[in-house]
Amino acid sequence: MTLQQKLDDFKAKFESGGPPYNAPKSTIETMHRATEELRRSGLAEHALKTGDRAPAFTLNSQDGNPISSAGLLAKGPLVITFFRGHW
Amino acid sequence: MELEALQTALPEIQRLGANLIAIAPELEKYGRAIHRRLNLGFDILTDRGLQVAEQFRLVYVLPDYLKTLYSQFGSKLDEFNGEDAYRLPMPARYIVDQQNVIRSANVNPDYTIRPEPSETVSTLEKLTKTPG
Repeated sequence: MTLQQKLDDFKAKFESGGPPYNAPKSTIETMHRATEELRRSGLAEHALKTGDRAPAFTLNSQDGNPISSAGLLAKGPLVITFFRGHW
Repeated sequence: MELEALQTALPEIQRLGANLIAIAPELEKYGRAIHRRLNLGFDILTDRGLQVAEQFRLVYVLPDYLKTLYSQFGSKLDEFNGEDAYRLPMPARYIVDQQNVIRSANVNPDYTIRPEPSETVSTLEKLTKTPG
């Protein structure tokens, strides 16, 4: 199963309103509204895109070690995934 | 789900000479917890104050009604992220080449849509075959 299929399955289960999530209809509507507003804001079109220069950064890893983009890029191309968090 | 899928693709990414990192605004302890739970072979970096996400122009402020909803779920973003502002990055996946140029960008305002790791691998494959 692809990642998107798994995400779609989860979404369908959540939005069914049934167990285990028992999400109320109002909750689902609120989430849809927020996504729709963000989409219509056009913010995603302003994000850095193909051809732009990537900003250099140094951030701490889960173990507290500083990791620099320059250090990783010295070894090869870099895949960066931004996500919202564990929740 | 996305991190697990990327973990599955990690050997192929590394075979192509590339590295993979994940970035989230939440504090290290949360990153450490997911890292352990999913037994990840790549680092999760803490983007305090969403400074790097800002540079990639991915940051948005949650509307008040969504803040309320997330609080009801127990998603305490202020605690998770160590700041009072309810801000998040739009989910995004980038491929950066060794000249610091973005060669692939996938940003979606709908957090329920993510690119397949296999797409990332095939883009990397093309990139390593035609450098520059």
